[in-house]
Amino acid sequence: MDGGLINRGAQEAERTAGARIEPGRSYGFFTDTTLCIGCKACEVACKEWNGLPADGDMRLSGHSYDNTGALGAETWRHVGFVERLDDRPGEMKPFQSNWIMFSDVCKHCDPAPCLEACPTGALFRTEFDTVVVQQDICNGCAYCVPACPFGVVEVSKADGKAHKCTLCHDRMKGGMEPACAKACPTDSIQFGALEDLIPRAHQRVEHLHEMGQDRAYLYGAPGTPGATHGIKKLNAFFLLTERPEVHGLPSEPVRPAPRAQPSLLAGLGTLAGLAAAALVFGLGSRR
Amino acid sequence: MNAMAPVPLPEPWQGETYHGRPTLKPAEFDWKVATYIAVQGVAGAAQLLAGISRTEDPEDRDGLASRARALAFAGSIIAPAILIGHLKTPKRWYNMLRIVRPQSPMSWGSWVLTAFGAASFAAWGAERMGWRRAADLAQIPASLAGAGAASYTATLLSTTSNPLWAAARAPLAAQFAASSMAGGAAAMALLQRSAGKVESARRLERLSAAALGAETAASMMLSDAQRRAGVSAPLKKGPPALLHKAGAQALGIAAPLVLRALGRPALASAAILIGSALLRQAVLRAGDESAKRPLDSLGFAREVRR
Ligand code: SF4
Ligand code: SF4
Repeated sequence: MDGGLINRGAQEAERTAGARIEPGRSYGFFTDTTLCIGCKACEVACKEWNGLPADGDMRLSGHSYDNTGALGAETWRHVGFVERLDDRPGEMKPFQSNWIMFSDVCKHCDPAPCLEACPTGALFRTEFDTVVVQQDICNGCAYCVPACPFGVVEVSKADGKAHKCTLCHDRMKGGMEPACAKACPTDSIQFGALEDLIPRAHQRVEHLHEMGQDRAYLYGAPGTPGATHGIKKLNAFFLLTERPEVHGLPSEPVRPAPRAQPSLLAGLGTLAGLAAAALVFGLGSRR
Repeated sequence: MNAMAPVPLPEPWQGETYHGRPTLKPAEFDWKVATYIAVQGVAGAAQLLAGISRTEDPEDRDGLASRARALAFAGSIIAPAILIGHLKTPKRWYNMLRIVRPQSPMSWGSWVLTAFGAASFAAWGAERMGWRRAADLAQIPASLAGAGAASYTATLLSTTSNPLWAAARAPLAAQFAASSMAGGAAAMALLQRSAGKVESARRLERLSAAALGAETAASMMLSDAQRRAGVSAPLKKGPPALLHKAGAQALGIAAPLVLRALGRPALASAAILIGSALLRQAVLRAGDESAKRPLDSLGFAREVRR
């Protein structure tokens, strides 16, 4: 009846994110790069809540303040740092310095290429319209890894199973907003129901345009770059001021599933042609 | 929901990346997957040949159908075992048979394999029991599933976001299918030769040569499509390219033709079989390289529709 929610009364998320969490509605993140200060509170909060190990060898990458590098099996939030060294300070746009921070995460795509690829059903769409790997089902076939257009999901060497952001499915069950969004001190990461988040994001873009930041645009909301070629929306969508590639995002992600049919037909057609040749010319001795 | 017109991207892409870091993750399908694809290809093609041989030689005087069924059945057992070996959590392999997901070639591929194994067992077993009608009846699903098993592996690779595999879905499938047929015919030619069925072996060798021709044509279309999509670099230079040129092309296609001209047909057939496996290994390795090249992946996600 209550969709498995632990807390049917007042929820913490209502106080911290202004969002009530109810099964059957779509939830996601609106990540606004113009507000990010690169503090990595989201990365740390994610690791803490989800019990994920540290990233490793403590070496500096040389890629600005980004020593995390990429999303992966043990890194579900990743703050990217881009320094625009060629622009002069006087040419800086308002509300975005030449130091651009961007907290990346699994996009919880709809439809999700990883989920469509998964042969075991380990990857599934939850009651909150998010995409989660069921650890007790995954057999480590790794097919979701090349399927993801964003290079997010990865099979862990430690346990041989695929891991990625769950949009804190466990916290949501308890009426709490995801750890990263709660920790974010600038509201660069906002959690909520998409029906609230998407209009709010469009308003934010309009507001930025009015204030002179005319490069602001949404990536992944319906009808925007990032929601292309069969991918209707990214439940975790972004506000960017640079081209997506600057952050390592494809400008037009593609849903792979429709490629299967032409491929299969070409393969079977080739075999049929060769089989026909074999029939005509024969395989046995002539007598 | 969409009050505003979508804002165009700030400026055209000029090859920016995020610190040159990869934007995709490599699949890291290892040599077991390459071997699996090759063995499955040979087994599937053998089952097709068994079917063709039954229509041509109902008495099976050459023993071709019988040997092809045995080879296909053996392959239908060995190949999935190798595939399960590549899983990172192999003891849960059976979860593949938990659902049917039509969008996932890995999912319906598992069902094709299952059907192929069952039908191959039926055709082989019925023949061993002397139930010829039953064997011929089982031959129909066995041949159909064999065709699927010999070709779906390319579809599995192309239905991903990997630039190299996705860029040329049809030619890659044609290449894999032709290579499977070349391998299946070469394997049967070896068996027929060792059984003293020289004329049948010769015809099978001719068929494998025709399949190599088809494979070469598909390879040319493949590199053309990959070049146009701007993703061909991993097959141009580096270790996967070397494996592709030396293994798949020189050993797998050129050497067999020379060996046959020199009157060494058995060696030629063996070279085809090894080349067929090396082709798959080269394509897997080149795909991993492709995923690590941000200019390829970002450019591909900009240029290619679907
Ligand atoms: S971003 Fe990748 S891992 Fe996340 S839902 Fe989309 S396809 Fe799956
Ligand atoms: S690795 Fe696990 S989650 Fe990924 S496709 Fe395979 S079974 Fe599904």
